[in-house]
Amino acid sequence: MTVDAWIAEPVNWVFSIVAVVILFTAVRVVTSPNVVHAALYLVAALAGSAVMFLLLSAEFVALVLVLVYIGAVLVLFLFGIMITRAPTGFDEGLSNDRKLVSAAISLVLLGVLSWASLSAFGTDTVNTVGSPTATEILGDAILGRFVIPFEVVSFILLSALIGGITVARRDLTPLEEEERKAV
Amino acid sequence: MTFEIDYLALAPELVVAGTIIAALLLDLFLTRSKKYWVAVLSVVGVAGGLVPIVYMLAEGGTRSMFDGSYVVDEFALILKIVFLVSGYLVLLMSVSYIEADRYYQGEYYFLLLSSILGSLVMSSSRDLIVLFIGLELTTGPLFLLAGWRKGDAKSNEASLKFFILGVLSTAILLYGMSLLFGLTGSVEFTAIAAAIPDLVSEPALALSVLFLIVGFAFKASAVPFHFWAPDTYEGAPTPVAAYLSVNSKAAGFVAMLIVMYTALPGISEVWAPALWVLAALSMTVGNLSALRQGNIVRLLAYSSIAQAGFMLVPFAAAAVAGSDLAQAFSATVVYLVIYALMNLGAFAVVIAGARRTGSGDIDDWAGLGQKDPVLGLLTALFFLSLAGIPPLAGWYAKFVMFASVIEAGGISTLVLAAIAAVNSVIAFYYYARVIKAVWLDTPSEELLARPGREYAGSIKLTLAISMGLTIAIGIYPTFATYFGEASRVIATGGG
Repeated sequence: MTVDAWIAEPVNWVFSIVAVVILFTAVRVVTSPNVVHAALYLVAALAGSAVMFLLLSAEFVALVLVLVYIGAVLVLFLFGIMITRAPTGFDEGLSNDRKLVSAAISLVLLGVLSWASLSAFGTDTVNTVGSPTATEILGDAILGRFVIPFEVVSFILLSALIGGITVARRDLTPLEEEERKAV
Repeated sequence: MTFEIDYLALAPELVVAGTIIAALLLDLFLTRSKKYWVAVLSVVGVAGGLVPIVYMLAEGGTRSMFDGSYVVDEFALILKIVFLVSGYLVLLMSVSYIEADRYYQGEYYFLLLSSILGSLVMSSSRDLIVLFIGLELTTGPLFLLAGWRKGDAKSNEASLKFFILGVLSTAILLYGMSLLFGLTGSVEFTAIAAAIPDLVSEPALALSVLFLIVGFAFKASAVPFHFWAPDTYEGAPTPVAAYLSVNSKAAGFVAMLIVMYTALPGISEVWAPALWVLAALSMTVGNLSALRQGNIVRLLAYSSIAQAGFMLVPFAAAAVAGSDLAQAFSATVVYLVIYALMNLGAFAVVIAGARRTGSGDIDDWAGLGQKDPVLGLLTALFFLSLAGIPPLAGWYAKFVMFASVIEAGGISTLVLAAIAAVNSVIAFYYYARVIKAVWLDTPSEELLARPGREYAGSIKLTLAISMGLTIAIGIYPTFATYFGEASRVIATGGG
């Protein structure tokens, strides 16, 4: 594709802007010294990813990303921070001493993955514009071909829920228990 | 598109799933002193899951559902038996342990049963999505169970370490899977295997294979992905440690073998050397670290890391040498079956011994044989079996392993066999150290003065079952060979 043709395509413009936003916010998630700010940057990064899916005409995945990750997981996360009275302000302990090593490893990994992905998918063109993935097909797949994993996932969620509550709840000390019995 | 559901093929999973729901509901209506009824229900449910499996084994044949993504063949059935029997033994050894302290009991059995269900699903998976979900259901509840001793800082550490490293490894595993899907355009193993030959020169394929190995090796706690294991085993409730060392390890292990064997045989030049290194490192590092352990649970943790190395040997050797993988596969399954039984027995001994001596330190176990000869004998039995001494089952596991390596031939396999042989000797030293402490050292005043309490029936039953099977397989190994032979079915692509 020539440069002129690339510029002529408005999708590429949107893609470039969103990509820059995602990159910036993703880096800030890791570098921000404030937990709440980090969570909000993550919201922005995920919203950007949702736009990416929209650009690929995968509207269902985009909506799920917004509903589940932004709507449920991150809101829950913010509530969690608030309720557990974790420090919500500036927190020096969020970064650690080995951040340079970690950054170096991450960069090497990025390099290797980019090289491998470019080599594998660099020349692929997928024409999805104008042919949205029918949600009907997805629904059929989930409740047909993939019904076993779909049902098993509900057991994973149930066990995470019940186990999580059990581990997280504050138990009565033996003394408190005696008092309660006395009442 | 509609799919036929074969309810008989799904019966083991349905029975266990029903038991999970029933246990959860029953728990609501029981007072604390009556909670053991949940355990009774769970034990009965898990045993009930075996009935349809035995029926299907007797009937023979392969049942395939959902475009061949869920296959119930002899291999899957054999694995389901292994997972159900070892889950059954862990449930039994949990009863008295969980009752003895202020644990949440109903939820404990619920989570353990969920994990067993996950391993059942995983055994039948012939597709990346089912495999991943099954594997996550196997390990997910264990993150929580490892922290079940809530008041204990060590247990909290166990749970957190396991969770954080576990989530990281899951992310790597998923990345590998998505790369593989992106390259081959399919999630089914047979379709992936068919697409591989055109892609062998692609660096992304090698990368995805390595990512998969990292993810699976973490779950199997193979070196160098083992760092969580000793701390987690030590901090977790002992039955959970037993479960981690057998079921969840086996699940990771089996998942790795299924994927390598059915989906990626075309690119064995990438994963064969990786498995070779994993096997050699696991054996050596596991055994050398075990030498220095004073705590018996940590010793078993390192020993189980080393045993995972031994388990990998046949498969890695055959893949490197390019010889018959089916033979190696059956050797690995035989090793797995025997290891599961003797390791669970060893953990049951640890639970009983810790109750008798009030300690997990090997030094405090000095003279246990004089105090309690039966327990002393069982300690000797299971640890000698782990070391591979005839006529206990462990010798046959080692025999099958070495036999398959020699059959594979080639220089690199012989090097691996030599490493395995040296490691068997090292392992014998630390297993024998426990037996020496129990039988030859003089007991402390404190130990002799401790009141001799009667053991709970459930732990006696655990010990009796694992002892009986360990001796039976050792004397009559054809029984274990049957398991290995049946697992070859997967070689013929029966699905």
